[in-house]
Amino acid sequence: MSRPRFRLRGGGGAVNAPRGDGAIRMFHVSKSYLAGSFALRDVSIELAKGEFVFLTGPSGAGKTSLLKLIFGAERPSEGQIVVLGRNIARLGESAVPPLRRRIGVVFQDFKLLPRRTVEENVALALQVTGTPPRETRARVFAILKQLGLQHRRYHHPLSLSGGEQQRVAIARALVNEPEILLADEPTGNLDPELTLEIMDLIASAALRGTTVVVATHELEIVRRYGKRAVRLEGGQIVEDTQPSMPRS
Amino acid sequence: MTRTTYKWLLFVRTAIRGIASSPVTSGISVVTIGVTLVLVGAFALLLQNMEELLDQFGDDLRVTAYLESEVSGEALRGLEQRVREIPGVEDVEAVSQDEALERFRASVGSGSALLDGLDINPLPASLEISLSEDQRSAEGMEAVAKAIEGLAGVESLSSGRDWVEGYLRAVALVRGVGVGLGVILALATLLIVANTIRLGVFARRDELEILSLVGASRPFVQTPFLLEGLLQGAAGGALALALLFALFRLVLPGFEFGLELLVGSAPRFFSPGEALIVVVGGAGLGLFGSAAALSGDWRP
Repeated sequence: MSRPRFRLRGGGGAVNAPRGDGAIRMFHVSKSYLAGSFALRDVSIELAKGEFVFLTGPSGAGKTSLLKLIFGAERPSEGQIVVLGRNIARLGESAVPPLRRRIGVVFQDFKLLPRRTVEENVALALQVTGTPPRETRARVFAILKQLGLQHRRYHHPLSLSGGEQQRVAIARALVNEPEILLADEPTGNLDPELTLEIMDLIASAALRGTTVVVATHELEIVRRYGKRAVRLEGGQIVEDTQPSMPRS
Repeated sequence: MTRTTYKWLLFVRTAIRGIASSPVTSGISVVTIGVTLVLVGAFALLLQNMEELLDQFGDDLRVTAYLESEVSGEALRGLEQRVREIPGVEDVEAVSQDEALERFRASVGSGSALLDGLDINPLPASLEISLSEDQRSAEGMEAVAKAIEGLAGVESLSSGRDWVEGYLRAVALVRGVGVGLGVILALATLLIVANTIRLGVFARRDELEILSLVGASRPFVQTPFLLEGLLQGAAGGALALALLFALFRLVLPGFEFGLELLVGSAPRFFSPGEALIVVVGGAGLGLFGSAAALSGDWRP
């Protein structure tokens, strides 16, 4: 199996950041879409700044619901969530976009616009902040170069491989230098070789102080990286494993 | 350039891209707005020319007070002065019996020889009263006529009140039909534009979801759609203006000569300022249609 070909630059040392300086804090959070049926039930967890955490568990365990609560796509039915100092439960509609600009999100299905070029897809994250075009182009080129995609910047997503498309999605998530990176089954559509490549890129983001949360049901990946792993089942945390030495 | 300028440039580009990505639905919006404005504009044009016709006749709108035969000299001057003081009266011209006969003689031309046989002058002296601009209406004429009616020495009154009343009723009818039709068509147009924009929102729901994910604010997402409506509306207004002008040039030659003979001037098209109002009106229709589409729970 090949080793990572691309690695994001940035300061290291934040991987083992102490607990208490929480980027994400949840207190007795429950989420219910239907009365009597809980997607999440009484979840309390704290993720430190710069921490790399896996959310594991079978399909329907509540991993995606938890990520949606973190980036404000959903509101908790009960409990409190504090993300980057903002209480999600009390956040007004107009306060959600500024918070999201501090959070990068990567999905299993990439969520790229097929009619826009790679450069335009990545630039979206900067355009919403009103970044001038020249600066946008420079920053997009820089992140695409770091991810080995600079030669693909004028291509459309559908002409790229699955791994390349996911790298574009990661570039879009990281171009704004977010404080939190959320990835929901980011390797679900990729073959094993590409899985490691993408996971290495995501792990690199944590090295520069970004809090990284990866939801996956692939236990092999979790074991390989030896990071903190929070296991969900039936909407509840059933296991919270602390970092161990990564498998070579 | 500031960040706001960049954002607005981006909004305009996104709006144009939105229109280009759905040319058929955008075209329907433009044509609908255009047809609405053609109909409303045609009424406005008709109304404007009818009102101007009334203004032109206004100078000729006057009340004539025929005087009793014994009123002359000092009494005539006194009566003339009293009429001049009535509110709404702009000018008074006294016409003596002799002057009246001379005028009549001039108006009948070669038939005037018949008048030579008359022993007496049967025409009465009169006061020709022209009205101030704000009184050139049926009500104004009636008010002035009532004030003159009771004056000593006035035998009878004549005015074009009935004609003015009829004409004003026609103007009011055209205005009423135009406004009624305009309101109904504007509402129908708003619904069509709103649905077009809704289709656009639906077609671009993936893009909107992604914009929302990367932290786009509600105004950031909505502004291009509002601009889309505005641009479609302005295009509809321009289309209406072009169609109205073509119709005006096509229909006018049939009436131009007769009207010029009757009124002394030909009907006119919208001035540049009025034409701008048509385009701005279209833009407003498009903008309100978009705003209606985006109000409430608009997110895909």
